[in-house]
Amino acid sequence: MRRPFVRIVSIVAAIVCIVAVASCSKAEPKQAKGVEINMFQLKVEIKDAIDGYAAAYSAAHPGVTVKVETLGGGGDYGGALKAKSQAGQMPDIFVIEGLGGYNIWKDYIADLSGEPWVKDTDLAMKVDGKIVGFPVAIEGYGLAYNADILAKAGIDPAALTTRAAYEKALAKLDSMKKELGITAPVSMAASVAGGMWWVAAQHNLACYWGGGLAFDDTSVIDKALKGELDEARFTQYAKYLQLLFKYADQNILLNGSYDDQVGAFAQGKTAFLHQGNWVDPNLKQLGVTFTIGYAPHAFLDTEQKGLYLFAPSWYCVNSKSPNADAAKAFLTAMATTPEGHDYMVNKAGMIPAFKSVTLKPAGQLSQALMAANAKGGNYGVFFGMLPDGAGQNVFGPIFDLFAQNQKDLPRFISDMKKAVADLPKM
Amino acid sequence: MRRHRLVSILFVAPCVFAFAMNILIPFGFGLYYSMTDWNGVNPDINFVGFDNFAGLFSSPDFIYSFLITVAYTAINIVLVNAVSFGLSLIVTGRIRGRNFLRAGFFIPYLIGGIVLGYIWQFIFNNALVAVGKSLSIAALQTSFLSRPGSVIWIMAVVNTWQYAGYIMLIYVAAIQGIPASLMEAAEVDGANYPTRIFKILMPMMANAFTISLFLTLTTSFKQFDMNLTLTNGGPATRFMDTPIKASQLLAMNIFSTATANRMAEAQAKAVVLFVALVVVALLQVAANKKKEVEL
Repeated sequence: MRRPFVRIVSIVAAIVCIVAVASCSKAEPKQAKGVEINMFQLKVEIKDAIDGYAAAYSAAHPGVTVKVETLGGGGDYGGALKAKSQAGQMPDIFVIEGLGGYNIWKDYIADLSGEPWVKDTDLAMKVDGKIVGFPVAIEGYGLAYNADILAKAGIDPAALTTRAAYEKALAKLDSMKKELGITAPVSMAASVAGGMWWVAAQHNLACYWGGGLAFDDTSVIDKALKGELDEARFTQYAKYLQLLFKYADQNILLNGSYDDQVGAFAQGKTAFLHQGNWVDPNLKQLGVTFTIGYAPHAFLDTEQKGLYLFAPSWYCVNSKSPNADAAKAFLTAMATTPEGHDYMVNKAGMIPAFKSVTLKPAGQLSQALMAANAKGGNYGVFFGMLPDGAGQNVFGPIFDLFAQNQKDLPRFISDMKKAVADLPKM
Repeated sequence: MRRHRLVSILFVAPCVFAFAMNILIPFGFGLYYSMTDWNGVNPDINFVGFDNFAGLFSSPDFIYSFLITVAYTAINIVLVNAVSFGLSLIVTGRIRGRNFLRAGFFIPYLIGGIVLGYIWQFIFNNALVAVGKSLSIAALQTSFLSRPGSVIWIMAVVNTWQYAGYIMLIYVAAIQGIPASLMEAAEVDGANYPTRIFKILMPMMANAFTISLFLTLTTSFKQFDMNLTLTNGGPATRFMDTPIKASQLLAMNIFSTATANRMAEAQAKAVVLFVALVVVALLQVAANKKKEVEL
């Protein structure tokens, strides 16, 4: 009696295994009617907003359903997208963050040159004259300042347009620390340990790549990609960085996390913060009431007045998807309709990269950026052109080491020269 | 007999199947990808032979990661086993609250490495620094995690705190397996406590040392989660005249190579880690086995 039972159980077990595996590899059956657009994006902070917009769009367009999946909590988006493509579930709209991403996914990226929103923006992703990416938003940065502290110290932020002016202002703030109630003039982070390499080795270094040049002038980084560092220009930049490091809160600089860095500024413990407009929600959450503005990162001996503006990521349309046209229409609606503008500005709290948008964002830093964008004379941000991993694995440790040994400027310059010389091999 | 055989095969089949799908096949793919230029997506994969491996041993960050992984493993083996052996002697001795102590020492092991890394990061970066400032102790005012020379020692200490309780349990089980009559006989013969530990206890529990050393060796060599959250590879230091990350162990080096879309290169590094681990572990087990005694 027992043996047949055992046999049946084991056969059933084997069948279950095989069926389970076989069903994994089978594609899900397509819905009979209507188009389903699958979007996969990585900005957790806009999840609710984009879900709401997608639902409204689906309701307004019978036969079209937009489904948005958001990768949460700083997960590895590139890895997740790779997993999806390997599983044959490549989304119709996905996100890339620069040329590195483009090179990986170029087989899947549709040409968007003919889209109506292209004329309305400076920040679409362009490769070889073709438009390939829809700019998700404008982000940007300068050196954020606490206007109240600067006023108390008698410093006019509008005068901070050269390195010499910064040197004087920072020295003055440093000497008045007790009266102003600050622990250090600048809240800056550079540590590999705190995961903050990107503030120094990506965003600050971007000043060297693009500062003081025309918005789309990539000559400095083009040279670097061929292995050449402009030493005269870089020395000026390095002196500016040295200045920021010198007057930064050292514990935050060497160990601090994002929360430490932003928190110190929000509590009025520093006069300056080296961060972009994405800290607006954090500042609001921390109950900031003082006036904030952006001063330019003026590292050159000559005057610099612009801020650094960029699109941090782009939406791409999957060219291999049968729903590519519907996906394009969805993006076009986002860029050109009042509902789309309302979603981007009021719901998602982003600064749209489209000039025809007239709505104003809520955050102080975002407003400063939008004003700068309207005024013009800003600088481009080109770190996305660097090979993958160059910022995190190569420049990050160099900047961290310079933060530890701030007096050794020649060493920092020679380290960077060597690292840039190796870029073509990466 | 043939029916029995069929049943055996069917019984083993699910396990073999799972093992093949999860271990054998991915391992084969891994070996293959390590000899290609695959970036994780690109469908046309070119075979490049041992190019990925050739570059590894001239890149300072990899050599450094390899060396500190070996150093970290050595520190860890000594520290974890010394501490856990000490703890096991305490909790098998005649003290009060033995069971409570056993549970207490074991609890850190139940906290995940990720959480534990963040907790200790807070202790080192904030709590100790604050204590140093308020008591004006200069040594505490800069975080222990920002000292490139000693950061792997700090990691070993944290790892010991987590792992010693687990290894302690293995030692406790071994000590309890030794007949009490042996220890009593030695005591009657006039052997003092250290002599009894070194001459009777330790030889009798040699098999526990084999397994404990093996476990600490392999887990230290593959250390990743605590490394990521506690130090994130930082701070930076200089090695072979190149700035690199002072506490980036091999597993994390592989991870950051892979996340920079250098899948094939990362795979090659993983193969090197695998080979190194197998060689070291086999040597260790062979050496330890010689010392084991049968009762």
